[in-house]
Amino acid sequence: MTDWRRQRTARDARIAAGRAHADGKVVAAADVVDLLEAVLRPGDRVCLEGDNQKQADCLARGLSACDPDKVHGLHMVQSGIVLPEHLDVFETGIAKRLDYSYSGPQGARIAKMLYGGQIELGAVHTYLELFARYFIDLTPNVALIAGVSADRAGNLYTGPNTEDTPTVVEATAFKNGVVIAQVNQIVETVPRVDIPGDRIDFVVEADTPFYVEPLFTRDPAAVTETQILMAMMAIKGIYAEYGIRRLNHGIGFGTAAIELLLPTYGERLGLKGRIATNWALNPHPTLIPAIEAGWVEQVHCFGSEVGMDRYIAARPDIFFTGADGSLRSNRAFCQTAGLYACDLFIGSTLQIDLMGHSSTVTTNRVAGFGGAPNMGSDPHGRRHPSDTWMKAGREAQQTGDPALMRGRKLVVQLVETFGDGLVPAFVEHLDALELARTIGLELAPVMVYADDVTHIVTEEGIANLLLCRNADEREQAIRGVAGYTEVGRGRDKAKVEHLRARGIVRRPEDLGIEPLDADRSLLAAKSIKDLVHTSGGLYEPPARFRNW
Amino acid sequence: MSLSWYEASARQRVAALVDAESFEEFVGPEQRAMSPHLPLFDLPRAFDDGIVVGRGRLDGRTVYLAAQEGRFMGGAFGEVHGAKLVGLLRAAVTETPEAVLILFDTGGVRLQEANAGETAIAETMRAIADLRRAGIPVVGLVGGRAGCFGGGGLIAGTCSRLAVSEGGRISVSGPEVIETNKGAEEFDSKDRALVWRTMGGKHRRLAGGADRFCDDTVEAFRAAALDLIGRAPAFDLATLEAEQARLEDRIARFGDCRDATEIWARLGVNDPAGVPALSAADFDGLVAGLEGTTHDAR
Repeated sequence: MTDWRRQRTARDARIAAGRAHADGKVVAAADVVDLLEAVLRPGDRVCLEGDNQKQADCLARGLSACDPDKVHGLHMVQSGIVLPEHLDVFETGIAKRLDYSYSGPQGARIAKMLYGGQIELGAVHTYLELFARYFIDLTPNVALIAGVSADRAGNLYTGPNTEDTPTVVEATAFKNGVVIAQVNQIVETVPRVDIPGDRIDFVVEADTPFYVEPLFTRDPAAVTETQILMAMMAIKGIYAEYGIRRLNHGIGFGTAAIELLLPTYGERLGLKGRIATNWALNPHPTLIPAIEAGWVEQVHCFGSEVGMDRYIAARPDIFFTGADGSLRSNRAFCQTAGLYACDLFIGSTLQIDLMGHSSTVTTNRVAGFGGAPNMGSDPHGRRHPSDTWMKAGREAQQTGDPALMRGRKLVVQLVETFGDGLVPAFVEHLDALELARTIGLELAPVMVYADDVTHIVTEEGIANLLLCRNADEREQAIRGVAGYTEVGRGRDKAKVEHLRARGIVRRPEDLGIEPLDADRSLLAAKSIKDLVHTSGGLYEPPARFRNW
Repeated sequence: MSLSWYEASARQRVAALVDAESFEEFVGPEQRAMSPHLPLFDLPRAFDDGIVVGRGRLDGRTVYLAAQEGRFMGGAFGEVHGAKLVGLLRAAVTETPEAVLILFDTGGVRLQEANAGETAIAETMRAIADLRRAGIPVVGLVGGRAGCFGGGGLIAGTCSRLAVSEGGRISVSGPEVIETNKGAEEFDSKDRALVWRTMGGKHRRLAGGADRFCDDTVEAFRAAALDLIGRAPAFDLATLEAEQARLEDRIARFGDCRDATEIWARLGVNDPAGVPALSAADFDGLVAGLEGTTHDAR
């Protein structure tokens, strides 16, 4: 007779083994290694919560301290490779195979380990893609997650950085998996229940509060006049023209400049209420002046940001908050929102090629993707119209029945022609292709594909790729805004001028923008202290961003 | 809105600091006195080599002034940059303006022309000593992005009086240099709150290193300059002995402190942790109530 309950039986056995090291569900930090060695089986699929920001660091340390004779050959399925321990486990043989999304700070080491064969790589995913696979073919046997507090029954409060937790728990707990949560403290009653206790099998009181990375803070003091010029062009040449109200911003200084120009330059253009009202966005401190000036209707967040908690709690009309008052973020939902309900994504990149493919990979770093490829892609499953989406669709429409036309999401790359260290952002060939060859990746790690990009904004101007009618026009439009890079100097001047006459390439003067007006006095806040002041003292920047 | 000193360029600071239309530049950018060394390193040059020098009026009184441009090579001293400053100070000895103002904004000596830069630092300090001996006050104003580091910190130490804003930093070794040499445990250069409470304007004022704290506006610096010119100490043996005694006393009182907040507590500040958040007016009120922060030495 077929046994339909093998997974359930195995789960019960793991939990029984783990209970030997627990008091009810509660496990002391000192017993983490014993707990993990009891619960894990060789070859298990394990999700060790490493989000964009929040890290289950106590459990990560515990896992890397396990005896490789007992725990080995694990298949790690986690969105972020952020802490050194996330890779240490591959050096000791505790883990063998990896499917992940983002590896910012560990990008160089992961490239080395891939090249050395220490990691068997499944794939580098986008967030939504990896979350989707948790439910289809990468379902974890064990999830190691992080929260702020829990009660003894396991009811979990994730705090403002809920991020990936609900998704990970959903996939694990409802498919015969074991969920272990680390929390900063065990409490009598949690402020709100983010994850019900019957989905949590063990709770570890961590030795130190979990680590959160302040990824989304950009100091206004470091915004340059070039970035301000580009922000002016984006606001006047794209936001105003397409009437963009629903949007997502990347995390660069260019987009921070746009946020800081809304209450000043945007106000002067009479755009308040007409653009940038509804956001899928981490709570960027640089959005505070626009919020305070009444520009923003609402913001849904992927995760939180260090120092923004009190401000968010005091602005429940703007942010999604729980009954306890604190932010409720959710990466999976916000990614979905950014993909389907936003009309624009604007972000930066390290390299753009002649067709408009872009990548943040360089030859010795595999930084992964995170959310940008989802945000920066045209969702073919979208069926609701908006003026913005339809206008972009009309511009892109080349042939066929207009009645069957669909819209286009605006995907804008905002790049200075030369990046950090005067490295050109425009290249003939992406380094990503070279890297894929070197370490044997089947798919080159492209961040945003050319067919999704609609505009490129540089300090030289805006290239509207929607209006290009063939590959040659596209190439010349890109060269036409590539400044003094090799790619830019390789332009056909006559063709670029022709594109300019058709409005495909637009210079600041074509937009009625005087480059000398791009001055730091336009910024609604010029320093982190200004942001604190504008927030009425509610924003509490971390020490590394303070100059007082 | 008043012009932010921190945000302004050297030329904007000078123009707004002195009486309207009174500034007259020496060796201006039209003369193209540029670094002969930077092209060897394939580095861009500036027509003024990152410093503006000249003469102007402050409340009707003639002053000589030099302003470093922190956005060109971090305001660092190169050969031409240094020569313009030294030349200005030496001219002041013979031309006897009522005061000389140095608007610091510098990371120190320019590495690409270090020998010339180091020489200029020494010559500058000598020229300041000559000026002060001639009874001409030399007042330093510190509130720029690059702060006042390296040789700039040494020169600041020879001035008659110093005014500093919250954003301004005064030190010799910069945060990154200390971290590189002594490790992040000794000094974490990424902890900006630590950097500012150790080298920033408020601490320098509380520790007696600077004589006046001002808001980050050109107006505030102008008021500070006028005030400090009026109460510059004599440059004689008594002043130098008082300065020596002040510094010896400082190290005796605070030498074992591990953090600026401990020094502030020992100075008698009730809420040391609250100092960084104080406005300029509240901070001035705090300073007025503490002994030893204002002195006749230097």
